[in-house]
Amino acid sequence: MKNLSYKTASAGKHLVLILTCLIFVFPVYWMVISSFEGLGEIFSANMLPKDFTFDNYIYAFNNMPIGRMMLTSLIIAAALSVLQLTTGILAAYALSRFNFRGKGIITILFSLTWLIPVQSIMIPNYVTIIQMGLKENLLAVILPYAASAFAILNLMQSFNAFPKALIEASKMDGDGELKTLSRIVLPNLKAPLSSLGILLFINAWNEYMWPRLVMTKLESAPIQIGLRSFVGSDVNMWGSLMAATTISCLPIFVIYILLQKQVVDSFVKWGIK
Amino acid sequence: MSGNIGVHNVVKDFGAAKVLKDISLDIEEGSFTILLGPSGCGKSTLLRIIAGLETPDAGFVTVDGEDITDYEPKDRHIAMVFQNYALYPHMTAFRNVEYGLKIRKIEKSERRRMVNEVLEQVELADQAHKLPAQMSGGQRQRVALARAIVKRPKAFLMDEPLSNLDAKLRTQMRFELIDMYKKLNTTFLYVTHDQVEAMSMGTYIVIMNQGVIMQQGTPREIYEDPRNLFVAQFIGSPPANIIEHENGYIGIRPENITLSDTPDGEFCLPARVHSAEQLGGETIYHLNTSAGKINVKISGCWEQENSEPYAVFNLDKTFLFDSKGNRIPDNDRVLRAVLRGLDGGERLAAFSFQSAG
Repeated sequence: MKNLSYKTASAGKHLVLILTCLIFVFPVYWMVISSFEGLGEIFSANMLPKDFTFDNYIYAFNNMPIGRMMLTSLIIAAALSVLQLTTGILAAYALSRFNFRGKGIITILFSLTWLIPVQSIMIPNYVTIIQMGLKENLLAVILPYAASAFAILNLMQSFNAFPKALIEASKMDGDGELKTLSRIVLPNLKAPLSSLGILLFINAWNEYMWPRLVMTKLESAPIQIGLRSFVGSDVNMWGSLMAATTISCLPIFVIYILLQKQVVDSFVKWGIK
Repeated sequence: MSGNIGVHNVVKDFGAAKVLKDISLDIEEGSFTILLGPSGCGKSTLLRIIAGLETPDAGFVTVDGEDITDYEPKDRHIAMVFQNYALYPHMTAFRNVEYGLKIRKIEKSERRRMVNEVLEQVELADQAHKLPAQMSGGQRQRVALARAIVKRPKAFLMDEPLSNLDAKLRTQMRFELIDMYKKLNTTFLYVTHDQVEAMSMGTYIVIMNQGVIMQQGTPREIYEDPRNLFVAQFIGSPPANIIEHENGYIGIRPENITLSDTPDGEFCLPARVHSAEQLGGETIYHLNTSAGKINVKISGCWEQENSEPYAVFNLDKTFLFDSKGNRIPDNDRVLRAVLRGLDGGERLAAFSFQSAG
């Protein structure tokens, strides 16, 4: 009897999990099959394309500099994640390792900036970027987000948990602070660093609002802006939109396949953003 | 190479807690000095101040007469072995030992030679390529020692280095440390709360409590001539019996008391055996007497069968303390008067009556 109820509960749990998975996977599946469907078929409820076609991809590649945009996106995401990690590591290490006046206040201020919605600081940021003459420049996308409070606060946790004795041993060995950080602390924090790095990369890759403001020309914009160009006021190119979106998902998909463990770890650790 | 370490009027507070209260200490060149005391007495803080990992609020530290208080740890010519080894987890044993030399920019071939030599010295030559996680506690301890030795420091500081090892390994490492001390002929400053480690390894012991030095001297002086109640009760296993009287305290070590069936010897107290710990080679008796509970340690085991023996001891083995717990020069007349009071006086009669009832 007990065995039976256990089995029922287990089956129930699995059913819920399978359904949840389907709900999450379905949009991705729909995107992929739609990208291979012709105009006539795209609004049908077919689960597999009847007339399998590459036309959407051909159209997308012909009408949009997808390769160039992907490269721009890649540069932005890589630069942002590297910069955010670097500034995060330096700030978090200083806050975690040293005792100085105002340390508490600085930490609180960092936490507060994390809570401020990006939209509320967009205009002052935009004005600053214009004044610096950086509009349409990649730096305009990268500079305002070169430091991330999220990264700093998370790295602080990792540094606080790092054994003090190792830092002291390195001091006894004769290391300065920067060398202690780079040779002793960071090599032992590879796992949290890589999972944070992946998260920062994905966030930067998916960035839309800010690049949309400062990168108006299609040739120099990241891929997320380009996708939007298939949806206009008079005509929506759903098939090509799906094709371009499928392509834009590929880098993240590749990262996931290569670093599956770290990606899962980072999402488990920090929640899905 | 060996150095003399001087600690001069060092004060350290952590917030409201006064951890070190005006400590002055001379650690003789080439000695194996032990800082001994209960946890929280300030011994580790003192060690860390000497290492340069903490800054004193007042006072200064010297090595060979040179004031090193403001020196960086690396410039003090001192090496430290940490309690939990503090080996770099991502480096092999070889790299762990080599790291300090690399920072000092010693040439690669010379470095290699020095590291191999030291690893051989601690009998880890065949483990050089292993990561700390792949080694046993004892091996990790030896890598930590090798890392200190390779720097050829003027002094070794050790912060409870054996406390993470199991009892058997600890005994073995104790011998190895003594051996190493003799070979290196360098100043050792060793922090522990374990009196067995202190007595067995140290050539000089400094006993601390609540931020002050209670007594310093050779293990023999500390054991045979405690300057205060704290030291008498801290050293010895079990510690000295303390008998309170009107004007202070008397201390007698458990091993200086014998048991007898008849009232003989210089002084004796009728006692009743409360319990006995048979340790194999020796027995510890817990007795109830007119002077309170006392412990008696006797070599041999399973021998005492009389449940109401006499605890017998001699005057020259007792310590006399005043009411503040400070040792007063052993005064035969006072001792005799106090002990006679315990031996034949009214209090004893009252106790005997009660215990018989």
